[in-house]
Amino acid sequence: MARKAKRDLTISEQLARGPVDLPLLMLAMLLLGVGLIMVMSASYATAYYDPDSKTPLDYALKQGGYALLGLLAMFLLSRFNYQNLRVLSPFLLLGSLLLLVMVLTPLGVRLNGAKRWLRMLLVVGPTFQPSEIVKVTVILYFAHKLCRRDKSKLPKRNTHTRWGRIQTLSDRIGFTELLFPYGIILIVIAALLMLQPHLSGTILVMLGALSVMFASGIHWGWFVAGLGLGGGGLFLIAKLTPYMNSRLALYRDPWSDPLGKGYQTIQSLYAIGSGGLLGRGLGKSVQKYLFLPEPENDFIFSIAVEELGFVGGILILGLFMMFILRGYWVALHARDRFGALVAVGITTLFAVQVFLNIAVVTKLIPNTGISLPFFSYGGTALVIQLAEVGILLAISRQIPAPKQD
Amino acid sequence: MAESRTQRNQQKEQSSKQLIFRRTAILMAFFGIATFLALGWRLWYLTIVKHEEYQLLQLQQSTRDVEVKSNRGDIRDSNGNVMAMSATVYNLILSPRDLINSISERQFKQDDGTIDQAAYQAAIQARRDLICDEVCAVLDLDRDDVVRRMNKTNSQYEVLKKNIEGDQAERLQAFIAENKLGYSLIMTPTTKRYYPMKSVGAHVVGFVNENGGAYGVEAAYEQLLEGQSGRVVTSKTGAGTEIYNSYSNYVDAQDGYSITLTIDSTIQRMAEQTLAAGIEKYDVQNGGICIVMNPKTGALLAMASSPTYDLNTYGTVYDETLNQQAAAQKEQYYQQFLAQNLTDEDGKPLTQEALRDKASSSAISDALNKQWRNKVLNDTYEPGSTFKSVVLAAALEAGVISERDHFYCPGYYVVAGRTIHCSDRQGHGDQTLAEAVQNSCNPAFMMIGQRLGADAFYDYFEAFGLKDATGIDLPGEATGIVWDRDYFVSPEGYQSLATASFGQRFTVSPLQLLSAFSATVNGGYLMQPYVLKSINDAEGNVVRQTDPTVIRQVVSESTSRQAAEILESVVSEGTGRNAYVAGYRIGGKTGTAEGEVGTQDEEIVSFVGFAPAEDPQVIVLLYFDTPKHASPGSKYGSTGYYISGGQMAAPMAGQLIAEILDYLGVERQYTQAEAAAADVSVPKLTGYDLTTAQAALKRKNLTCRTVGTGTVVTDQIPAVGATIPGNSTVILYMGQQAPTQQVNVPNLKGLTYDQAKKRLNDLGLYMRASGVSYYSAVTKVVDQSYAAGEMVDRGTVIPVRFVDTSVSDGYSPLE
Repeated sequence: MARKAKRDLTISEQLARGPVDLPLLMLAMLLLGVGLIMVMSASYATAYYDPDSKTPLDYALKQGGYALLGLLAMFLLSRFNYQNLRVLSPFLLLGSLLLLVMVLTPLGVRLNGAKRWLRMLLVVGPTFQPSEIVKVTVILYFAHKLCRRDKSKLPKRNTHTRWGRIQTLSDRIGFTELLFPYGIILIVIAALLMLQPHLSGTILVMLGALSVMFASGIHWGWFVAGLGLGGGGLFLIAKLTPYMNSRLALYRDPWSDPLGKGYQTIQSLYAIGSGGLLGRGLGKSVQKYLFLPEPENDFIFSIAVEELGFVGGILILGLFMMFILRGYWVALHARDRFGALVAVGITTLFAVQVFLNIAVVTKLIPNTGISLPFFSYGGTALVIQLAEVGILLAISRQIPAPKQD
Repeated sequence: MAESRTQRNQQKEQSSKQLIFRRTAILMAFFGIATFLALGWRLWYLTIVKHEEYQLLQLQQSTRDVEVKSNRGDIRDSNGNVMAMSATVYNLILSPRDLINSISERQFKQDDGTIDQAAYQAAIQARRDLICDEVCAVLDLDRDDVVRRMNKTNSQYEVLKKNIEGDQAERLQAFIAENKLGYSLIMTPTTKRYYPMKSVGAHVVGFVNENGGAYGVEAAYEQLLEGQSGRVVTSKTGAGTEIYNSYSNYVDAQDGYSITLTIDSTIQRMAEQTLAAGIEKYDVQNGGICIVMNPKTGALLAMASSPTYDLNTYGTVYDETLNQQAAAQKEQYYQQFLAQNLTDEDGKPLTQEALRDKASSSAISDALNKQWRNKVLNDTYEPGSTFKSVVLAAALEAGVISERDHFYCPGYYVVAGRTIHCSDRQGHGDQTLAEAVQNSCNPAFMMIGQRLGADAFYDYFEAFGLKDATGIDLPGEATGIVWDRDYFVSPEGYQSLATASFGQRFTVSPLQLLSAFSATVNGGYLMQPYVLKSINDAEGNVVRQTDPTVIRQVVSESTSRQAAEILESVVSEGTGRNAYVAGYRIGGKTGTAEGEVGTQDEEIVSFVGFAPAEDPQVIVLLYFDTPKHASPGSKYGSTGYYISGGQMAAPMAGQLIAEILDYLGVERQYTQAEAAAADVSVPKLTGYDLTTAQAALKRKNLTCRTVGTGTVVTDQIPAVGATIPGNSTVILYMGQQAPTQQVNVPNLKGLTYDQAKKRLNDLGLYMRASGVSYYSAVTKVVDQSYAAGEMVDRGTVIPVRFVDTSVSDGYSPLE
């Protein structure tokens, strides 16, 4: 397809060729760069002592390969006119739901007692988590549905039947809208994910989707009620079930089982604590030497702080913060509501992952098992994260240029 | 209408856009700012506030701090023979937990990601069996016990065996390396102390227990011997393996110094053998001691204390008598515990078995404490008459007596209204000073003590170091019980002066007495005794050498010479005459004293001897504690010897001194009479006529008798070249052959010199007499080297020992 001359383009097409948001791109690249360096440093010891890996740089090289793949995906998606996603989003969602179902079939790959993975080519190839994909497709679909929310009208109900009156009430307070289709979709996804089981994945999908719903203007009362119900439920579960009780006790005092369940938390605190102001220096972590389990994965931030200190940790946090603020900036300036909602969802997804990961490794909240975007070792996750950045960049392209006097 | 709808729609869209904008701004504020503030605060808290705490904890878990034991120094005798040495041995430690961890679960991962548990467990069991088989085979361990320990999967430290040596250690190390078991089966090096000479010098050398040197030199020079432990500080991984990096720190262990003692193991052996022989010969109940010292320097050449023990197994009761005592004590303890109704911690009465165990361990612990005790300096005793040498030297120095003085002994002496008897109740009559010392006459010494006066006596007592520890470099030195000066010099103490004059009613340690005694004969110098000759570093360089320390000069050289001469006459003519050895001028003093004040039939018989008298090279103190009496109250022991220093200790000490001097290469110098009895070699006489033969014999100081009637000597006994004592009679066979059949050695015990000599000569045997300086009707054979009835060739020289049975320096009890 030959490239059309500019004059032949529609306005929409012209806009899609606009410049990407450079600050967002730069921040993403910086995070990716720092993340790759940290993966190299943190995985060095693990790879060294791993009989399966050929060189201590094994993990870092693999991650680097995936980063290239992710950059390609990011580039392509950033060139993609995201308006097309409106039409595609239902199919994408359906496709990703199909993947979730496939995980539960014998095609799913089980690791460490949970069945969360599929292979790229069904039976061979590297594994990936369909839940990573669902996170995005749900956001796309919800954004697509919710951006036209103001245009939807309340359906006519037969007010003579009791059922009709209940329906009318439900319509008026927005409960119908909430349940169909959003509530149903989320319940289905949550059920599929909990069958894996995959609690942290469920939390992320929910929070991503909820952020889109929140931004779209659904009555704040629902969120307050949901928060109250969820919080109360959690509180009851924590109080009443012995399992959660012991987990909470362990969170409060990991030293009660220093070699067992509290081990990882303690080792993370040692790593962060021994970093001090300036850290031990890049590559000089001691904790990565088989003390801290999976230092290249969920706890990579601990190693980063051990090596780079408070200053390095704050710089990384700062990069994330600016990245996320810029993501919301894109949402605020997006050309249309669809773009805005997609940007909000994706940015919130990043923000939640960053917060949950770092809050866990710094023992601000109990352990949940969420990886750190751009940093944690894991190929497909990185590709998808870069693809998400690509979508953000695509949205940023269509931000109308400010008028110049 | 349509326009307004559009407008309304536009408004709606506008407000919807604004709503999204507001909501997004809220999310932005929360997720973009609030959460990061929380994380930033948390980061600051952990990295800055908790930094030191966590860093310390982190350091502790990632630092491997291994102590590197230093090699303990050797202890050698004065000739460099090793008495104590250290060797590396190994403790075998099993870590059941790491054994499991050493097998990677990963290897048993199946295609679906799960672990093949059966195969995994089988692999663990295979490795366990491998270790079990080898360890049990090499070390002869109880397999059930090893299996039991292996199943303690939470443990990382199970000591399977301690102190593995040599081949076993090598075999296990090879096994570990070969099977790569270094994580779970660990040989940790440690040192073990070896005492190649076993019991020789046990009390001087001492031993090392878990806490370091416990007794003797091992304890006294602990700091020097021990050295300085080193450290290896490295980083380690979570799996416990070392990481070599710039944090590693090595502090080398500094080996301990080696110590060379003044003790000569040969002399030490002689002293111990003498002690053991005497204990057997006289049926001694409480052991004894034997000290050999160089009187000029204070260097100890030997220090033996009986009962003794094998240093390698110091926890075992070694001495037979002690074992018997312990067995008796066990029963006693048992009865005692039984009467006490002992209970355990819960208040339940102990079972008979438990009581027996307790009694047994108490008795053994008593026995062990006894065997570890170095009586030479840990205990004190009443020195008795051996102390008279000190009184003699003091009085001579003070000028209150002279060699011309005479003392009259009626058999007793009255002091402050109290009659104190002499050991010879008949009395010694009129005696010169030398005779009084020779007779060990108590009345004479009471007079000498009185002439000296309590004040001066006490001054000399102190000057001779008898109130202070000698300062020897061995631990646990005791000092005796001595009167206060105030009491001693007061009128009430007058009787004390009298008893002190012959060495009774106060105690000193044997070593104190020996240093005081040697000050009376070595020129008057009180020397500080010592056992450390030199300290050597690991390369053998001498780091420090002990110079003899003169504490003070107590008496003048001339006084000392006088005293030595008089003490020499004690051996040549007096109560010490059974210590006489031809060729050596031995001086000395006997002593017989109560073992413990107030006890019956428990005497310590002792002798202090020194030689050569004119220039003492060695001084010896030998004592036997409580020779068994034949019957209660008897003056004779169960083996037939008169119980006294002169009859028991002196002969043993005399032989020992001669043995030591021979060993030290001090030449014998014979008096004319002694020279006549010295050995000569028999010349060739066959083929000569009688006159020629007689002349040849005369030149050799030999006589002859003939057998047969020929004119030419056809055979001779002894054969050419044999050495026989001078003055012996050679048998010349004139015209016939000497009989070749062997003869029975006769029983000579109890015979006088002439009787014994004749009895032997008649059989064609020769006598080499020793033991006393002269022979009379009271010198009787006490020992013969060939037992009666033994078959020997004609011409054999039979060494025979005499004692003077008239020496009667037995204990005279103070009523």
